[in-house]
Parts: sequence; C-alpha cells; structure tokens
Amino acid sequence: MPNIPLTFDTSWLDPLAERMQEDGPWDKWELFKLALEAEEAMAVREFDQLQSLKYLPLLSPFPHQLQTAEKVLLEMRGRAILADEVGLGKTIEAGLIMKEYMVRGLAKKILVLVPASLVIQWTKELYQKFGIAAVAQKKEYMWRQHDVVVASIDTAKRDPHRRHVLDIDYDMLIIDEAHKLKNKRTRNYQFVKEIRKKYCLLLTATPIQNEMDELYNLINLLKPGHLGHNATFSSNYVEGKRQSKNSEKLREEIEKVMIRNKRSDGGIQFTSRRVQSVPIQLSAEEMALYDGVTRFVREQYHTGITGGAGGFNSLSLITLQREVCSSKEAAFMTLYNMHQRTAENSVMREQIMELVEMIKQIDTHSKAAKTVELIQDINDKVIIFTEYRATQNYLQKYLHDHGITSVPFRGGFKRSKKDWMTDLFQNRAQVLIATEAGGEGINLQFCNQVINYDMPWNPMRVEQRIGRVHRLGQKRDVHIHNLSTVGTIEEHILNLLYEKIDLFEMVIGELDDIVERLSLNHSLEENLIQIIMDSRSSREMALKLDNMGHAIRAIRQTQARTSSPLSEAADQ
Amino acid sequence: MQQEQVRQFVERYLASFSAHIVESHPDYLTVKLPVEVDKDIGNRPFYWSWVEKMNIAYQPLVMTFAFHPDRIPEGKRAEYLHLGAARMQQIFASTQKHGRFLCMYEQKGGLLGGTRRSTPLVPWLGLNLKVSLLCDKKRDILLYLGINLHNPQVVHDFTSFLFSLPLTPTIPDYFYTLDRRITVPQALSMAEKTVADVLELEDQTWAMEAKARLQEELEILSAYYEELARREPESAEKEEDEQEVEENVEIIPEVEAPAAPTPPPVEQVQTFDEYRASGGRILDFLRANGIHETPKEEVNQKEWRKSTPDEERQRRMDELTWQYEPRIEVQFINGGLFYLSTTPPSNSTPKGRNTSKSPVSGRIL
Repeated sequence: MPNIPLTFDTSWLDPLAERMQEDGPWDKWELFKLALEAEEAMAVREFDQLQSLKYLPLLSPFPHQLQTAEKVLLEMRGRAILADEVGLGKTIEAGLIMKEYMVRGLAKKILVLVPASLVIQWTKELYQKFGIAAVAQKKEYMWRQHDVVVASIDTAKRDPHRRHVLDIDYDMLIIDEAHKLKNKRTRNYQFVKEIRKKYCLLLTATPIQNEMDELYNLINLLKPGHLGHNATFSSNYVEGKRQSKNSEKLREEIEKVMIRNKRSDGGIQFTSRRVQSVPIQLSAEEMALYDGVTRFVREQYHTGITGGAGGFNSLSLITLQREVCSSKEAAFMTLYNMHQRTAENSVMREQIMELVEMIKQIDTHSKAAKTVELIQDINDKVIIFTEYRATQNYLQKYLHDHGITSVPFRGGFKRSKKDWMTDLFQNRAQVLIATEAGGEGINLQFCNQVINYDMPWNPMRVEQRIGRVHRLGQKRDVHIHNLSTVGTIEEHILNLLYEKIDLFEMVIGELDDIVERLSLNHSLEENLIQIIMDSRSSREMALKLDNMGHAIRAIRQTQARTSSPLSEAADQ
Repeated sequence: MQQEQVRQFVERYLASFSAHIVESHPDYLTVKLPVEVDKDIGNRPFYWSWVEKMNIAYQPLVMTFAFHPDRIPEGKRAEYLHLGAARMQQIFASTQKHGRFLCMYEQKGGLLGGTRRSTPLVPWLGLNLKVSLLCDKKRDILLYLGINLHNPQVVHDFTSFLFSLPLTPTIPDYFYTLDRRITVPQALSMAEKTVADVLELEDQTWAMEAKARLQEELEILSAYYEELARREPESAEKEEDEQEVEENVEIIPEVEAPAAPTPPPVEQVQTFDEYRASGGRILDFLRANGIHETPKEEVNQKEWRKSTPDEERQRRMDELTWQYEPRIEVQFINGGLFYLSTTPPSNSTPKGRNTSKSPVSGRIL
C-alpha cells in the first residue's frame, strides 16, 4: 500500500539458515500444522467485529454492554467516558473493551487506576471474568515487570512510583471512579494528564455532580480541546453552573466521547423488589425491657445535654436505644459496659442493674422465633442483616438450635475469608448472617431473600444491603422482609423509610441527592436521632417523622421537575 | 473454535509429544505431561531449573482438562479448556515454539512400473505469514507462500497444497534433490514483493480513513492550544494564583526545577522468564536490569513539575499518531524447505482474497 510504513519480520532468517547448514533439528509436521491452526484460530479477520467474545465462553454480557463496547471500539476509537448509572456493569464494559484490544494485539501494557479499596476486586474480576492476568501493584518493580497492573491512584502519583508510571507508554489507561478527577487543579488530575496513553477509559456513574466544568475537565483529560478552550466552552454552552445552553449541540459533542446507559432505557431488565413488613408482637417482659431502656436512654440523654453529672456520651445512649430494638443480647453488652464505668452505689448503676435483671427474666425470643418461622416458610437461601455482632452471634446459635445452618459475615473478615463464607453460603448453608452490607465485589445474586433483622437509621445503608442481591445478574424477584416490632421506634422508622419516602423504590444516586438537599448540615440519621430523643410522646414522634416524610417527598417531586437540560444532555 | 475442536487440538498436541493419557473421558482428559509440555505449560520454571541443576529425576505433572463448563469432573482438579483459557494460549505458544521450521520430502507412492530411475525433487521455501493492517483498529491477512528455489517463482496457498501430499521427513530412496539456484534471502525479497502486490489489491479505505481521523484530531488539537496560548499567555503565574484557593493537600508543587533524569535504560540481556528458568534469584535480576528500588532519601515529591502547554501538546500529538497512524506488520508464523516432485497450482493471488476465511489447514477452527 502506498505511503504506509511496513515492517517485515526477518528474525527467522538466521535460525533457518543454521538449520539448513546443519540439516536440523527440524520440527514435527503435526506441530507445524497445529501452530498454523492456532494462528488461524486467533487471526482477526475483520476490522469491525468484536473478537473478544469467542475468548470468553463463560461471560454472557447484556446487550447494552456489548453495544457500548462496540461503540467505543468503532466510533470512539478507544477513548471514552463510560458513565452508566450504578449497577449496569461499567466494569464489564471496560473489561470487554480491554480484552478486545488485547486479543487484537493492540494493547499489551495496561494501567488500571482505581480507589485503593477496589484494587483487589478489579484484579480478581479481570482474571475471573476476562482471563486477564492483572496484578495488584505492591512493589516498585511491578510497574515494569507486569503488563496489566491495577493500582491505587494515590500510590501511583507518589514517588518512586510516579516516575515509573510517567516513564511508560501505556497502550491503555483505565480510571475507575473518574469523577474524583473533576477538579483540574488537583494533583490527581495533573498526574493523570501527564500519563502517556493510547486508549483511555474513564468510568464514572456521576459525570456531573455539581458543575458543568466537571464534565469539561473530564473530557479534557480524555481529548484535550474536544470542547474547545474553557472560555469558549463557557460562552458557547454554559448558562449557569448547572444550566446549559445550545443543549442540542452540546449533547452531540458529548455523545462523541461519553456513553451513558440508564436503567430507564429499557432493555435492561431488573427484577422487582417485593417489600414486606413483618410485624412482631413482643411479649410483656420484652416490652417492659424496651420501655425501661427507652426511658433510661432519654433521661440520660437529656441529663447529658443539659450538662448533668455522670452522663454517658450520647453516642452510646443512641446505640443502646437501637440495640434494644435489635435484640436483648445486643443491649446487654452495652449495659454491661456502662455498668463497669459507673461509680458504685450510684443511682445510675442501680438503674442499669435493674435493666440487666429484666434481661435475665426474659426467656422469650419473639423476633428470633419469628425469623425461624420465616426462614422455614421461605425454604430457600436467606441473607439476614443486622447491625450488631451480639445479635449476629446469638442468632447463629439460635438458628443452629432450630436445625438451620448459617454462616456469619463481617466487615472485619479478610477478603479470603469473605470469599470462603460466600462459598459456604452458596454451597452448604441456608442462611448468611451479615453485619455489613459493604464488601464490594461479593456476589450474592444467587440469593433473592433478604431479612432486615433490624433497621439502620441511615437509609443509604439499607440500600446498600439490598444492593448486594438486587443487581444485574439477579434472575428472580427480590423479597425483602423487614422485621418490625410493634410499638417501638423501629416501627416508626420503618414507616418513615418505607411508606413515606418509598426508600425501597429509589436508586442510590437519587437518595444521595435528596439527603444532601434536605439537610444541609445534618444527615438524615442525625435528624432522626433528634426527633426520637426530643419527642416527649410517641405521638409527637410520629407527627415529626411524618412531617419529615412529607418534606422528603416534596423535594423528590421538585427534583423531578427541575432536572436541568445539562443533566439531560449528560444523560443522553 | 468449538469445544470439540479444542479437544481434538489438545489431543493432537499431546500425541505429538507421545504423552501418556491416564484417562480419556468424553468430558475430560487426564494426562501425564511429557517434559517439553511440562516446561511450556506447567508454570513451574523454578522446579525445572532445580531438577536440571541437581540432575535428579523429575516428577511428571498430571493434569485434567475438562471441555464442558457444566460437566467438570468431581473430585479432580480439572481445568476448563477453551480458546480464551490462559492454558490454551500457552498450548498455542508451545505449538508455535515447536512447530516453526520444517524440512520435508514428497514421497510418491508405489514407484509404478518398477522403474528404478531416480526422480528429481524441486526445492521450495514455504512461508506462512501474518500480515496485520494496523491503525486504531486491526485486521490480519494470512498468506501461505511457496517460493520455488530452483526455478524462481512464487505461488499462493502453498500450504494447503502441501496438506494434500504424502510428505516424509527423510529423503525417500530413488529420489534426488535439485539444487537451489537462489538463496533464502533472495527468496525473502520475492516474498516481500508478493506481499506488496497483495496489499496493492487490498481495499485502502481503512488507511485513508485513519489518516483523515488523525488529521482531524490534530487540527482540533492545534486550534485548542493556539487558543490556549492566546488566552493564557502567562498561564503558569495564573495557575499559581488560583492554587492558593485550593486546600493544602491537593496543591501541586509548582517548582521550576527540571524533571529528575530517569535512570538510563540498562540493556536487557534476557527476559525475566529466561532468567528465572536458568535458576537466578529475582532480586539479582532486578538489580542487574536496573529496576531498582529508589532509596528513601532520593524520594522527593518536589522534583516533579507540570508539563508546559507546549510539552503537553507535543505529548498529545505523539499519542494521536501512535493511536491512528496506519502501518503494516508482517510476521513469520512458520515455514521450511519442501522438496516436491508434484508442481503446485500456480495461484498468483491468494484464494478468496478479501474474504479469505477458510483456513488452509482444512479444519474449521
């Protein structure tokens, strides 16, 4: 072809000449054929056809993921912002694109920069899902020794690592949680800008959080000048911080570098959530304990606030209040600790002893008994979430006594132990009792039954719990059972979260935004605490919670109305 | 490659090394790896360097390969083999290593009529080549060339012709070889010419499009940097002013010291794997190859400075060229000498030039 540089491999000339001279050693005819067949199996016959799928027989990507990979390859030429909404599988898209370039021999040296907490998960996923032997960067020599390196951006930007990274020509650079690079004056931004790269993928679910400039900065990282100079961009497209003009044109420009799949686009089928409250009637003794603790907590809380003597810090009081909703075992530990810290013969100590005595009197376990019933009815894998270790331990024993197999799961477990427990749960045990919803990358989609044994007061945590099982890959409807003890705070909270603000129907981003707008200084959780502690009667509490629910609903509705053209542009 | 073909491929591969098949089940295969295979796909270079150094008997690896993801045998440490499996890629690499150079003679069956007259064999150089068209995308064209070394001439699809012949690694009785009138380097020149001819007939659109894209991107880029220079002639000072607004942790050190010189690249004598295979210590290798750990006292965050707009622009231009610039690479797959009495059909162009998807080996992979 005219004017196209051509290199012709001649490295075989000498070895062949040598063999001709010596008449050997010659290879076997059969292996010669096999080598040729292998080459034929791997040859890329078409410019524009995904090759990677035939190398990934165990992966079944969703149509939107395949389309995204194709678009990045064919139209965006390997430089793109992948901005799918949470849970649509940006990692899969990035993996597909990465594999495609590797299979075509166009990318060998690849750097994946992610938050430190996701390094292992990325490494593992690339290997398990894409057969890509990525290594988590630990030692300095690894930058050069390995082709595919996953590292945290905070490590990479520091010497001696930075020097290696800026010295290497990367065939491909992938950055997860790229919205952290929205500010162009940060060191991270500058650092990424200096990396030499051929293809580049920026992954983020929130390309714009507050200002138009954020998107501009991201695009400038990917393709400097694509939207012109900052000032030109502003005068052409920006009306206000969150407002755009010439939306049509802007949308076109953004489409060239960004792909954003949304849940609402259809084609992406999420199964339904079926939420159910399970009312639990406490026995008289249990109710007495609950009332006793509640009274104690409020008294102490107010003494503490008004500067009274010997008050406990409000945090442990609130904890106690929550624990008593969960289980008497959880409350007992905190009471015990409080007892240790109070002076002998003090009134407080006496009060605590009284409560402890009440715990000793109780021999019913209404909540646990109901749970066993529920599990037996479900007759399938179940995940139980609780906030407290004491409840977790107790439940495990209780279930065991009733012939139900269970495994524990805690945030403090090492990664390998988490995997082991997940495996046990999948293959041996009926129930997983978890104290944390986090544990990114733990796949529990094989289970579709969740029991919220107690309710976190922070709605984000509830969403994270459900998010563990209700995600792409879940094939059945997800059943959520919320245990709610009648006549307690738990009942009120559940009422607020579930009935008033439809928490369970929201997506993560939406909730985040609402919480942020609702309370400029206090989190929703703190608001709840205030209401609960300050209300003199349960009726007053119910009323205040009700008002809060209304406020949230109102915000949610205005938000739906005022979504700016910009976010629409970004959403296209 | 369908799973059945994966299995056949693996069986043929193992058979070429006379591997001992421990168990052959419809779903899986258990095999004792022969030495060469073990070295290529066993992932134990340290073990091998140890065995060889100590001159002791080796323990063969026993592996079980499963061919159906849903039917992995229980109680065995089986691994699922498919086209994309890392092990399969190792097996491919192993065939390429052991199936590179051949010397074969055509063996005409029977010697009809009992003639004891000697028959001449014509020397051919067979070359299997992979021609890759590269820009930001890639396509491969496989060429199977045969070059007559006695009577200079090039034919296409030579290898598929070879597959139809009875060939033997030793020269059969009553045959003699004609002399080579051209050298292998001369044959290479003919091959180069042939590849150029093939490319001439190829659709050029991909390269033109790539060049146009490159041009377009470069124009956007220069427009941007020109505007940048116009609007922010003293961008450095301006940036500094802005930075004071930033929180401390994130501020970029704005130090005018030149970037620290990077350690000179030390010539890499051998690859890490070779080195390890020869029994060397990792640490020694790293030291010898200049991949050193920077001593703490040399670590200085301040040595780094931001690129100037000019440097940035240059870097970006290099990236674009790297990404889009069309280029062609011709790789040698394998090849060898073939002494033939039958004359191959003189194909002057490769079969089904543009859509050539049928493999010469006659097997659908």
